[in-house]
Amino acid sequence: MNPSNPDIKLTAYALGELSEDERLAVEARIQNQPALQAEVDQIRALAAQLETELAGESAPALTDAQRQAILAAPGAGHDRGRLARFPWRKISGFAAVAAVVTLVFGGAFWTATRSLHGTLLAQIDEKGEMAVMDYEEQQLDELLEELSPPDELADLVIPITPPDVEMDMTPPPDIQEFAAAPVMSEIVELNLASEAHSPLILNTLSSGSLANRAGGGRRSSLGGYRGVGKMACAPPPSSRKREENIRVLVNGVAVVSPIDEMTVRPNTESYAPIEGNAFQSILEEPLSTFSIDVDTASYANIRRFLQSGTLPPPDAVRIEEMINYFPYTYEPPREDVPFAVHVESAACPWNPAHALVKIGLKGKELDAENRPPCNLVFLIDVSGSMSSENKLPLVKKSLQLLARQLTENDRVSIVVYASATGLVLPPTPGSHLAAIHAAIDNLQAGGSTAGGAGIRLAYDQARETFLKDGNNRVILCTDGDFNVGITDSDELASFIADRARQGIFLTILGFGMGNYKDDRLETLSNKGNGNYAYIDTFSEARKTLAEQAAGTLFTIAKDVKLQIEFNPARFASYRLVGYENRLLAKEDFNDDKKDAGELGAGHTVTAFYELVPHGAEPPAPAVDPLKYQPQLTAEDQPAALTIDPDNASPEWLTVKLRCKLPDQDTSTKIEVPFTGTFSDFSEASADFRFAAGVAAAGYLMRHDAAVNSIGFQQVVDWTAAAAGPDPEGYRREFIDLLKNAAVLDSP
Amino acid sequence: MNPDLHSWLQDMVARYERPLCQYACRITGNPDHARDAVQDTFLRLCRKGVLPDDHVAPWLFRVCRNRCIDIIRKEKPMEPLTDARAAVLPAPDPSPAEQAGLRDAASLLLRKLAALPARQAEVIRLKFQHHLSYREIAAVTALSESNVGVLIHTGIQTLRRQAAQF
Repeated sequence: MNPSNPDIKLTAYALGELSEDERLAVEARIQNQPALQAEVDQIRALAAQLETELAGESAPALTDAQRQAILAAPGAGHDRGRLARFPWRKISGFAAVAAVVTLVFGGAFWTATRSLHGTLLAQIDEKGEMAVMDYEEQQLDELLEELSPPDELADLVIPITPPDVEMDMTPPPDIQEFAAAPVMSEIVELNLASEAHSPLILNTLSSGSLANRAGGGRRSSLGGYRGVGKMACAPPPSSRKREENIRVLVNGVAVVSPIDEMTVRPNTESYAPIEGNAFQSILEEPLSTFSIDVDTASYANIRRFLQSGTLPPPDAVRIEEMINYFPYTYEPPREDVPFAVHVESAACPWNPAHALVKIGLKGKELDAENRPPCNLVFLIDVSGSMSSENKLPLVKKSLQLLARQLTENDRVSIVVYASATGLVLPPTPGSHLAAIHAAIDNLQAGGSTAGGAGIRLAYDQARETFLKDGNNRVILCTDGDFNVGITDSDELASFIADRARQGIFLTILGFGMGNYKDDRLETLSNKGNGNYAYIDTFSEARKTLAEQAAGTLFTIAKDVKLQIEFNPARFASYRLVGYENRLLAKEDFNDDKKDAGELGAGHTVTAFYELVPHGAEPPAPAVDPLKYQPQLTAEDQPAALTIDPDNASPEWLTVKLRCKLPDQDTSTKIEVPFTGTFSDFSEASADFRFAAGVAAAGYLMRHDAAVNSIGFQQVVDWTAAAAGPDPEGYRREFIDLLKNAAVLDSP
Repeated sequence: MNPDLHSWLQDMVARYERPLCQYACRITGNPDHARDAVQDTFLRLCRKGVLPDDHVAPWLFRVCRNRCIDIIRKEKPMEPLTDARAAVLPAPDPSPAEQAGLRDAASLLLRKLAALPARQAEVIRLKFQHHLSYREIAAVTALSESNVGVLIHTGIQTLRRQAAQF
């Protein structure tokens, strides 16, 4: 209930809708207030009258034939439904897009309609787009799963797919492949990250993410939840485990009961759950494979939380996006290759017994004169939800920033979508600034209905003015609650992927807050070989669209994958810091059909590995001896498999890297062997120390057990000492945020 | 169909047929469409199997609501209004005589209820006709629970004010 309106609470009280605590509070309030007491009585009298009269209303009845058809229908609970469930769950997040949009839209039409009869029909017909959107009863399954008490979560059998629609729900092959990947790959063995590996998952684990949101106890990623990903169909045990956390919390602190918050979250931000990468034994898993990620949206989002005085929910924290937010001074490549690779090591600051290895990529820089021409189509959401100051007005300012950098060789078009879709700026040379500015200025938020063929029109425009050697790109500006004309979520993803193959890439700029659909936007932009950024302030717009415009707009290498082979003679185990939703199977590395991240001009990408030397491993959890096969001990192993530390290579690891040029379909491979040193953290380069500090801060916000020994204040010290010249002030801003976090985190 | 499911389903039809038909009729404004929606809803329930008791009502109303909306939006474009069709279609509004009859049949309160904004009327019906809780109504209508609270409060206040005027 809305606590700020006592009247609404009084009505809820009169109707018996309050929890025990709230009920007692209202009773205390009205005790000596005859007027309020009388009001309660009147509400109850009216309620009773309504109940009586409504009970007497006539209603049509089913025909006998209909009733017989129901009772003669084939039964439920057969296995087909359950088999189909897994892929469906994977795509359920997308269905949520449709549902959210429908909710907004539906609200408008209900209000606009004074009668449920004839006018309703007319209303729906007028707004024909509504017919495209699909309610799915499957939505309800998720809803009801959330409704059910936590203990029932695992037991509730919900076969998802009615047989007659099974075909429709089978996702297109690329999605299916994606969804099935965790099952086949050994990523499953890694940890729950296999769930997060498919960015398509949204709501299935919402109870778990809820526990995080409530700021629950620190959870360990050390050896936790191994193998859970195998049970992709069932709610993972971890969600139940976290459920317990929240209950403890509820008892201790005055928090809304989990059920309440699960059912209704007025704040519709959604984050796919993230499980931190666990330590992997090098003997068992010598290869670590992942796709690069240059997105930075998570950082901007975290900044928003910290600036408003709350720690971000752990699932909103993507450590790699935090690290990659900051520019680093890596040397650009000297030869004509897309990027340079830099590897550096030092003692791990949060656990000096471990080593920390930083792998840095620096994309080739493009000078303004030699850059290819741009064909940009802005697709702008101008629905009513975009009207607040940090949305459409910020979009306008951002676009004007971008427009200033264009030349006569570039082409700009603007497509808007809301209640109507329209081309507000036909393809215009970038030098016609006045026309572009005027079109941008004239954008107005309005219209309660999203819809129309927005995205098709945008891609059609891009194709019409396609520049063969240029940068062809659709730039979608939205607050996330978007319905751009293709409402089937798979269809949207495959449409975007299809156009990406034709050379039209997608950049998504997320604006505003509250409706921000973080993981969905990332998924879509990945499909479109693009990137996405979250723009919450003008300075963020400046960073993304002016200072780093080349990186945002020009892809210099696509499907960039990294595979690291570790030397078991030097280290016992490792873990990758962040990139949980970018993990790939080792076979994917050489498979050019597997999509991976894109690198923009001048972009830097940084990844850390935390390496555990022999003898420094944490005690492994005991595993029962195998029953059906002999346990291999060191003596049993063939000589070739045993590793003699004295004769083994001194190298720590080899970085292997694959990428394609933007217009090519086959990849090239680069290998960089690395022999590191255990130097003191304070002797590492400033970039190393700063980035390591960002990683540590990310782990702290994720409540990772491995950083239990440090606090935000220490990270402030590390990063402050490594801030360097910092001309744009990004690092200083981060340090300020950390100071906020230090205060918020103190008990 | 296994016998347990069959008898459970029989119970559910007996219990929810009338409430769902009432509800569907309010949304579609057409008894035939309402029947179709309700039949379809129960068929989906068959495929789904036995639900926990406290899930049944919100599930049924939610699915029924979606079926109704599907039917409404599919109905219109498929039936272009031709002269032949117009001849057999009922007039959109009840005739004056029917209106007088309706007025007598429906109480003042129900007429006031019908005059409320549709969404308020809908949640009020779900609450007082079908006895769903705020949370269940939220699940059915895809509104937030607090939004449901506000709608019911506003609707009740309007009805009370109007009752005071008479």
